[in-house]
Amino acid sequence: MKPTDALVQVESVSRRFPLDHNYVTALDDASLRVAAGEFLAIAGPSGSGKSTLLNLIGCIDKPTSGRILVEGVDTSTLSPKRMAALRREKIGFVFQTFNLIPVFTAAENVEFPLLVQGISARERKTRVAAALESVGLGARANHRPDLMSGGERQRVAVARAIVHQPALVLADEPTANLDTHNATQLIDLMHDLNRRLGLTFIFSTHDARLLEHTDRIVRLCDGQVESDSLTAGGRHE
Amino acid sequence: MSKFLLLAFRNIFRNRRRTLMTLMMVGGGVVCLLLAGGYFGFMTHGLRESTINDGLGHIQIFTADHFRRDEVRVLDTGIENWRQVAASVSTGGHVRGVAPRIEFYGMVSNGTKAAGFMGSGVDPAAEKSLGFVSRVVSGRDLDAKPTGEVEALIGVGLAKSMNVKVGDGLTLLAMTSDGALNGVDVEIVGLTNSGVAAMDARSLRVTLTAAQRLLQSDRVTNLVVGLDSTDNTDKVAAELAPRLRGLPQQMELRKWIDLATYYKQVSTMFNGIFLFMGVIVFFMVLMSSVNTLLMSMFERTREIGTMLAMGTPRGWIVALFVLEATLLGVMGAVVGVVAGNLLGMLLNASGLHMPPPPGYTVAIPFKVLHIPAQMIGSSVLVIVSLALASILPAVRASRLQIAEALAHV
Repeated sequence: MKPTDALVQVESVSRRFPLDHNYVTALDDASLRVAAGEFLAIAGPSGSGKSTLLNLIGCIDKPTSGRILVEGVDTSTLSPKRMAALRREKIGFVFQTFNLIPVFTAAENVEFPLLVQGISARERKTRVAAALESVGLGARANHRPDLMSGGERQRVAVARAIVHQPALVLADEPTANLDTHNATQLIDLMHDLNRRLGLTFIFSTHDARLLEHTDRIVRLCDGQVESDSLTAGGRHE
Repeated sequence: MSKFLLLAFRNIFRNRRRTLMTLMMVGGGVVCLLLAGGYFGFMTHGLRESTINDGLGHIQIFTADHFRRDEVRVLDTGIENWRQVAASVSTGGHVRGVAPRIEFYGMVSNGTKAAGFMGSGVDPAAEKSLGFVSRVVSGRDLDAKPTGEVEALIGVGLAKSMNVKVGDGLTLLAMTSDGALNGVDVEIVGLTNSGVAAMDARSLRVTLTAAQRLLQSDRVTNLVVGLDSTDNTDKVAAELAPRLRGLPQQMELRKWIDLATYYKQVSTMFNGIFLFMGVIVFFMVLMSSVNTLLMSMFERTREIGTMLAMGTPRGWIVALFVLEATLLGVMGAVVGVVAGNLLGMLLNASGLHMPPPPGYTVAIPFKVLHIPAQMIGSSVLVIVSLALASILPAVRASRLQIAEALAHV
C-alpha cells in the first residue's frame, strides 16, 4: 500500500502521561498504517496502550511526539474545533460500556450524530431507520437503553457509529461487557458492515477468541507494536 | 433543536428525587416572595385607599401662597372665592365632588383642663358625598347645624386626656384672621379613633361654618377633590392644573401621593423588605442549585465525554446545561406561582389577623393580593438564578478532557 492510500497513518507516535513527578509511557514510538476498508483488531493485554492508540487515532487525544494522519490530514496540527469537526464527520465511536444516552430511545441515540451535523429531520429519519435495520434493531427503535440487553445496546452503539457514514469506526473493547455469544455476534455484525458498506473498522480487544474473526491483528505490548499480522481471511499489504 | 430541548427536558427527570427537591426549593422561594409581596401589596393598597378615604382625597387644591410663605395670620394664604373654584373643579371628568377644609390650631378647655388641638373645619355633607368617613367609635358623626350649639368630634386620646365624653361641652380657643383671640362652645357628639395614637391625642373636627365663625374668616385652607378611582389621579391632575393657573387667585394642586408622607414611608419600607427577600431567595436558589447541578454534571461525565467524542461542539454542552437549569427554573416558577396563589387564597379565606403594628391600635387582617407583576418578577428571579447557577457546571462540563471523561467511573 502506498502511503497516500492509507486512511490512517500512525508515524512514530508516543504518548506519555504525567504521574506525580514522573511520566508513564502509554505508547512508545508506535507506527501503523490502515487502509480504507480494513477490519483490524488491536490486541494486547491491559495497559498495553490499545485505548491510548485508539484515542489518538480518534482525535480525542494528541500524541506527545510523532504524528497521526487521517485521510492525509495531520491531526496533531489541528485546532480543537477542527478536531471536533473531523470526529463529527469522519469517525464513529463504539465504547466498551455502550455509552448510550439513557434518556433517549434507540432511534434518538442513533440520530444524535446526525443532529450534531445539522442534517435535516427528514434525512435523519431515513438514515436512522436504515442504520437500525442494518444492525437488526428496526423493531426496537423506540425502546430506551435500560429496556434492552447488553448485546442490543452495543448494536445500537454500532448503529450510532455508522449512521453518519464515517470513513472510520473505532471500537474500544466493544465486546468486553458482552457474553461470548453476543460478543461473537457483534464482531460478525461489524465485519458484515465492513464488507457490505466498505466501512473501515479498528477495534481493540484482549479476547483471543474474537481475533479469528478479524482480517488483521496488530499486537501491542508495553506501548510498542509487537506484531502486525494478517489472518486467513484478511487482505495482504 | 427540538431534540436538544427534549434531551434537556428528559435529563431533568433523571434523578426525580433531586429534581423534586430542587422544585420544592425554587417553588418555595417563589411562594415566600408571593405571600410576602402579596401581603405587602395588601397593606400598601389598603393604606393607600384608607389614607385617601380618611380625608386626604385624591387631589388637594391650595393657593400658590400656601407653599410660598408662612401664614402671618390664620387663613391669610387661604382660598378666597372657594365656591367658584370648587364649582369649576366639579365640572371635570372623573370628579365625584369637592370638599372645602380649614386646618387650624388652638386650645381646648373644659374649665378644669386645657390642651392643644389640631382642628379641621369640614362640610359634613361634602365629606359624606366623597365617602370620607370619620372613624367614630362612640357617638355619631358631625351634622351640619347652621345655628345653635356647635358640634365637635374629638380623638379618643384627646377625650381621655381632657377626661370628657360624648355629650360634654368644650370651649375652643383660637386666633382669628384679624389676630384677636376668639372662642366658641362646642358639644362633643362623637369620639374618633384613627388608629394612630399621636393623631387621636390632638385631633378635633368641627363644621366649616363653625371653624369660620371661630376664625372670623370666609376663606378655606384647601379644597379636597375626590375622584371615581385612584388610578385616574394623574389624568385629572393634568387636566386641572392649567385651569387652576387661569384663576384670579393663583392656585396649585397636589396629588395624594405628594401629601401622603406616611404612605410613602411605609411603601418604601415594604419595597425595601421585599427587595431584600428577593436577594435572599436569589442567592438561596443560586447556591443550592450550583451544588445540585455540579452533582448532575459529575454523574454524567462519561456521557458528556461521549457527546464530545462524537464531535458535539463544546458550546452545545454549555447550552444543554443552561437549558436544563432554565427549564427547571420555569417548572419551579410554575409550581411556586400555583402554590403561592393557592396558599394566598387559603390565607385570605382563613380570616387571620396580624397584631397591631407600633403606633396602631387596630389589628390588621392578614390578606394577600394576587399581583401579576410579582408573579412575573419572582418567576424571572428564580429562572435567572438557576440559569446563572448552571454556568459553572456547564463550563466545567464543556471543558472536560474527552479521554478522561470516557474513562470516568
